[in-house]
Amino acid sequence: MANKINKLNSISDFFSLSLPILLLFQKETNHFRCSAKLALPLCRREISHAAALPKMAAACWVLSGSSRWPALARCCWRAEVAAYFSTPAASSREAQQREVSTRRRGRMSQLIRSHIPPRTERMAVDQDWSSVYPTAAAFKPASVPLPIRMGYPVKGGVPPPKEGNLELIKIPNFLHLTPPAIKKHCAALRDFCTEWPSALDGDEKCEQHFPVEIETVDYVSAGTSIRNPKARIVTLRVKLSNLNLDDHAKKKLIKLVGKRYCKDTDVLTIITDRCPLRRQNYDYGIHLLTVLYHESWKTEAWESEKTEEDMEEYIWENSSSQKNALDTLLQIKATENVSNVTKEELLASEVVRNYRNSVIALKNEGETESNMSQYKESVKKLLNIQALP
Amino acid sequence: MAAAMAVRALRALPHIRIPALPASCSLHTTPPRLKTRAARVRVGKGDKAVTYEKAHPPHYIAHRKGWLSLHTGNLDGERCAAQRAVEDSFVRRFLHGTFPGCLADEAVLKRRSNSLLVCLLLLRRLPPSKLCFLLGYAETLLSHLYKCPVRIEAQTVPDAAVYKYL
Repeated sequence: MANKINKLNSISDFFSLSLPILLLFQKETNHFRCSAKLALPLCRREISHAAALPKMAAACWVLSGSSRWPALARCCWRAEVAAYFSTPAASSREAQQREVSTRRRGRMSQLIRSHIPPRTERMAVDQDWSSVYPTAAAFKPASVPLPIRMGYPVKGGVPPPKEGNLELIKIPNFLHLTPPAIKKHCAALRDFCTEWPSALDGDEKCEQHFPVEIETVDYVSAGTSIRNPKARIVTLRVKLSNLNLDDHAKKKLIKLVGKRYCKDTDVLTIITDRCPLRRQNYDYGIHLLTVLYHESWKTEAWESEKTEEDMEEYIWENSSSQKNALDTLLQIKATENVSNVTKEELLASEVVRNYRNSVIALKNEGETESNMSQYKESVKKLLNIQALP
Repeated sequence: MAAAMAVRALRALPHIRIPALPASCSLHTTPPRLKTRAARVRVGKGDKAVTYEKAHPPHYIAHRKGWLSLHTGNLDGERCAAQRAVEDSFVRRFLHGTFPGCLADEAVLKRRSNSLLVCLLLLRRLPPSKLCFLLGYAETLLSHLYKCPVRIEAQTVPDAAVYKYL
């Protein structure tokens, strides 16, 4: 009986230790699953307090020493160590939990420890860089084989290195736009390009064939919306010399458009933005140009009421200057008792023509040295006072 | 408010006689504390490890620090700066919750036309399978929320780069 009890004790000891091992390997080998299930009901009935630990360990080791499952041997060793160094487990469940936690920690440490070295160590000097950075991407320290440092250095230190450096990631980089990469882009885009027409080989030719210039602006921004209200604005530019206008039509058109005409460059600029869409603004601009052209060729009844103030430039004929000059000349002639000099003769005479040109130049072009001297000469000739300097 | 607190503090000490004051008075018994505290890590014993981002207060932006979020909304004549700011703050909170304890530093958000590029610095706390799943989840959810392509470029570091100890 005592023998039997002793034997039972030893068996229970064995099972109390091997139970966690068997349960552990339930997941690892299907083969063991059935044996674990067998072991369970046996063990539950026995609550054994730990006898001498080394005895248990030895029993385990003996069992697994010649085993064909090295994993079992490893785990046995671990369990033995754990059992040896920890307080003797009252129940098998604690040992089982400890076992599972050591297994998890072991796996995690394996994950943290084994990390592959960065790609920079395996890069050849003559590699194809456009395959490392084919598109715009953030800075990757493990992919860029340059010893870059960025940041303000600590006192007595150096700028921080590139590993984990947020400043290098923040900035936009152009690692994807090296000259060889751009060459490749151009080569790829060439298939979609057409030649510039050979007939248009100068600005004058372009202006001659395409006198009307349309300017539109597309706005690109970073965000989820592509709409920009400024994109509907259309600018139309045309030189009036390219339009078929006579003198009256040109003057009328300039009066109609007002500030939109620039006299120095002879360019009419129409900017339309009153419609919500660009297409509509373009159509409205073309419509405006057409209407202006046709209207300027028409002559309305009220245009005959144009007064001297409305004139764009100074016209000498029927002006006060002409009247004054003719009156003066007639008076001079009368005092000299030369009669029968008609106005037409006077107007056709050279001195009067000179005077007329100088007055027109002064009025239209403003006062310049040459204009003033020309006027002086013409007045001297008109009044016949050559003697004065 | 400072005065009331000071008066209460003085009352606690039994041997000090204080005059009978009305409920709110303009008596300043302690110097006013007018320090800005925005985005500043206060100097301590020298045991607090601090990254470059946290070590520099906001007046160093554009001098020693760059911007964490790049978009055109703040340029002259551009629109929708406020919408970008709201999106940024939501994305940062979302990432903070999706990768609990794994963010080594602030996320850098870059916008390139329509797309949103999120650059993350992650610690190696999660196993790679879980990390991959979370990255895909974050990308998909954010792109559905904002109706724009969202790409996450993640880098893992063993631990956050320490700039100095405060």
